[in-house]
Amino acid sequence: MSNRILPLELIDKTIGSPIWILMRGQTEITGILRGFDDYVNLVLEDAVEYSPDPRDKSVVVKTELKSEILLNGNHVAVLVPGGTGPEDSLASRAS
Amino acid sequence: MSSALPDNTSKAPEKEAEAVPENKRSPSDFLKAVLGRPVNVRLNSGTDYRGVLACLDGYMNIAMEQTEEYVDGQLKSKYGDCFIRGNNVMYISSQRR
Repeated sequence: MSNRILPLELIDKTIGSPIWILMRGQTEITGILRGFDDYVNLVLEDAVEYSPDPRDKSVVVKTELKSEILLNGNHVAVLVPGGTGPEDSLASRAS
Repeated sequence: MSSALPDNTSKAPEKEAEAVPENKRSPSDFLKAVLGRPVNVRLNSGTDYRGVLACLDGYMNIAMEQTEEYVDGQLKSKYGDCFIRGNNVMYISSQRR
């Protein structure tokens, strides 16, 4: 029983390491997790945003934000601790 | 499993309150740090607002000054003062200048 890990404990353990966030909709964000609160608003360092190009939705645009961001927890769908983004997952699928 | 959830939520803020390590930075720490600084606010629609963060609240309602509105990356207009309702905000990013 004692080795059970609660969901937010898992996220707490991720602080200081990379995290991959899937938002509601198409957007995905990666970065180093610096902190979070009960609403799962997230503070990220060196965040990179992957979102569909507004002109051509089939193309994904990668935007390096190059600063600290506060991500609204309202639109967070999935958190992947240690995940470094859609590029790496595609690469790992190919190999 | 579900019975453990309330316990978890009551635990999280307690952790943040006690001796916060240097590498930890809660959302409220971030907000304190960016007040009065140039920020980029991204809305869910993809529109960006860049300007000086005047003030904000727990809903992420935001008041900004010297605001520039970027739609699809193109500068569309400028506002001296503007208010953004928090539900539209995807993220607030500090601009390092």
